[in-house]
Amino acid sequence: MANSLEFRGISKLYPGVRALDDISFRAEGGRVLALLGENGAGKSTLLKIMSGDQRGDEGELFINDQQVKFADPQAAISAGISVIYQERQLMPEMSVMENLFPGALPKTKLGLFDKRKLYKDALEIINKFGLPIDPTEKVARLNIAHQQMVEIMKAYRRDADIIAFDEPTAPLTDTEITILFNIIRELKAAGKVVIYVSHRMAEIFQITDDIVVMKDGKLVTQLKTADTSEAELIKAMVGRDIGDTYASLSRNTEFGEIVLDVQNLKTPYVRDVSFTVRRGEVVGLAGLVGAGRTEVARALFGADPVTGGTIILDGAVTHFKSPRDAIAAGVALCPEDRKEQGLVLGRTIKDNIVMPVVNKVSKYKIVNNRQVDDLAEEAVEKYSIKTPTVDKIVGELSGGNQQKVILGRWTSSQMTTKLLILDEPTKGIDVGTKAEIYQTVCDLAKAGIGVIIISSELTEVINLADKIIVMHNGHVTGTVDRANATEESVLAMAMLD
Amino acid sequence: MENTTNKSFYQRFVKPIVTHKVFTLVLLLAGLWIIFSVWAPLIGNKFFAMSTFRNILESIVLSSFLTIGAGCLLISGDIDLSQAAVGAFGGMVLASAMAGWGLPWYLGVIIGLALCAVFGAANALLIDKFHFPAFIGTLAMSYMAQGLMRLFSSLGSETGTAQNIPFQKPAFLKWLTIGKVWFIPSGVFIMLIFFIVYGILISKTTFGKKVMLMGGNRQAAHLAGINSRAITYILFINSAVLGGVSGVFNTAKLGQGQLLALQGNQFTGITAAILGGISFGGGAGGMGGAFIGLLILNTFQIGMTSIKVNPFWYSIFTGLLLLVALSIDFFTQIRAGQKMARQARG
Repeated sequence: MANSLEFRGISKLYPGVRALDDISFRAEGGRVLALLGENGAGKSTLLKIMSGDQRGDEGELFINDQQVKFADPQAAISAGISVIYQERQLMPEMSVMENLFPGALPKTKLGLFDKRKLYKDALEIINKFGLPIDPTEKVARLNIAHQQMVEIMKAYRRDADIIAFDEPTAPLTDTEITILFNIIRELKAAGKVVIYVSHRMAEIFQITDDIVVMKDGKLVTQLKTADTSEAELIKAMVGRDIGDTYASLSRNTEFGEIVLDVQNLKTPYVRDVSFTVRRGEVVGLAGLVGAGRTEVARALFGADPVTGGTIILDGAVTHFKSPRDAIAAGVALCPEDRKEQGLVLGRTIKDNIVMPVVNKVSKYKIVNNRQVDDLAEEAVEKYSIKTPTVDKIVGELSGGNQQKVILGRWTSSQMTTKLLILDEPTKGIDVGTKAEIYQTVCDLAKAGIGVIIISSELTEVINLADKIIVMHNGHVTGTVDRANATEESVLAMAMLD
Repeated sequence: MENTTNKSFYQRFVKPIVTHKVFTLVLLLAGLWIIFSVWAPLIGNKFFAMSTFRNILESIVLSSFLTIGAGCLLISGDIDLSQAAVGAFGGMVLASAMAGWGLPWYLGVIIGLALCAVFGAANALLIDKFHFPAFIGTLAMSYMAQGLMRLFSSLGSETGTAQNIPFQKPAFLKWLTIGKVWFIPSGVFIMLIFFIVYGILISKTTFGKKVMLMGGNRQAAHLAGINSRAITYILFINSAVLGGVSGVFNTAKLGQGQLLALQGNQFTGITAAILGGISFGGGAGGMGGAFIGLLILNTFQIGMTSIKVNPFWYSIFTGLLLLVALSIDFFTQIRAGQKMARQARG
């Protein structure tokens, strides 16, 4: 019987977001199916549902036309599904061979763990792949490409009928990619279902047979690789439903002098990054996940070390050693992960707002509670944060209001922010609040602040920013004005190989 | 926005008190007093008396400094297991300085506390610079402090073995143990001053606010420009020096540098702080609570003696008490988490 995997009407709801909306498609054995879509299109969520890691709220999953329900990942593995995630799930302190056979370690007659057989079995797989890896080596000591290959071998040796790869080639070099593709072809010849998630167009055309394009949790189209073109795929990924939110924004049109001039910035994560931001200008950093946008932001904010290049703020060359220095010089960052890096969730709104200016609202080192209240109430009013009092615990607010608290922190009357960096400011935020935040960004620009906005939602960057810097793989691949930016052109630059 | 002037008397004055964590603790303490006061006379003993209260207060002096140091660290999200050992070392240095080197008591105190500060800085260095978990780094330090204390105590002896070092108590050290300020024993008086000063430091000053925010989320605090590294150093040094103060009190009280000094007090500071509502994860609690926590701990001990309970029960009940306190902390956190999730959805 031929293998197959079918999704029927799968939906997944998160608070305020439909991560997956009625997804239905069928993947046949002996063919490689590509899942394509922008960041946040729902590809990873779909993989998590098929691997039993998460459960869909609606819809059914069929394997070989039999309906299946997975209580946990173990159930999915038993049903013959193997998913190789982007984040490697290896035990770094254990050897390669132990990692290859988790939960299936061979035993001797006495019930002890059979190291010799384990070594033999592991070596067999490694040789089949043709990799120069010692089975007894600790995984932590392998390079990232080889670690990824261990993950792939782990899934391979389970002999699953359905195998999904989530961006497998990101950490690999050409040698391993060749090996991987040979393996994929072999799996295909053996009649297995292969699902391949990747951003790299060239690979999609090289290895896949069918393509499913997703956007905003919906299935846009399903087509055969042989019948399509790169341009058609990009168009399908971008979609056509841009609301008039952006048209109704009241924007800033007058830019002042240059507030930030980045020249050939180099850090352990990015290189050759150059761009400028003027007072009142909104500059967007576009790119795929891992392109290095957050890393640029962190370097500008003094949170990551700068190894080369020049950062000129307001005409003066800067060398921030910590965020503290950057804040003193007028740079502010709303980090990507609001809850982990932005807020102290267990404390009040006012504590979170006063964080960088504690010293300024005090006299003889004693905090002036009245000033703190005033500062917090000013922010609550300015951004219409929905709360009965400034003493409310921040963790109890909605995501949108939490984001507004961070904005309030950096734009309070005690701050002298010249440059505001917003990293994914609308992530996980409902549509209505998104629009409010867009207008806030424009208002801040009007007040003369230079704004850098990082977003994985291409529509958002293109429509909000006056100028878009596109990054790929740690460096800038293009700069384009809003007037000339199309999602197709920006996405093409962001996916440049 | 609610207008503050519209709040009722209950909302403004009563509610903040009765919903405060410390209020629950005071109730618990009062409960313990009532239980022991009723129980003790039944078996022909007396618990409810001014002398009992004074006994309790005097018995917590030694551990109070440990509690303050441990409490500040816990609020910032760190822990110091070396405090008592470092304190004992400081106390031994004081004894050696006076008995062995013939130094005046104040130089002994200064040298002792300064060496304790070095231990604190070393703790902070291990954690901040070399990224040791605080638990491991300070545990290692506590062994080193113990070893160094024995080394110090052996320097003066003819046989070269570690020993207790007795000395002639100078007037100040006598006053420290048996002196009085008005009618308050001087140790108790100093302890109260420390609690008040540190209470203000944590709850009212910019430093305290930063410690609290850093304990709530260290990464966010760092990204908001709070100098968490400097605070880590300050708090570890503070913890070690307060350990030293405790060691000095112990040495003064006994009239000798003692090899077994503060050995039973290794976890007293941490226990009292957690009993007193300082969150183990950091970012919540205060000195008032820690003080009550310490009172509860010792009321318990003295109360148990007054009702003639075999002393081994004391440790068992202390363990249970700590479990209860931690469970309360745990469940309030879960409840807060659920509330957060509910409200973020709605």
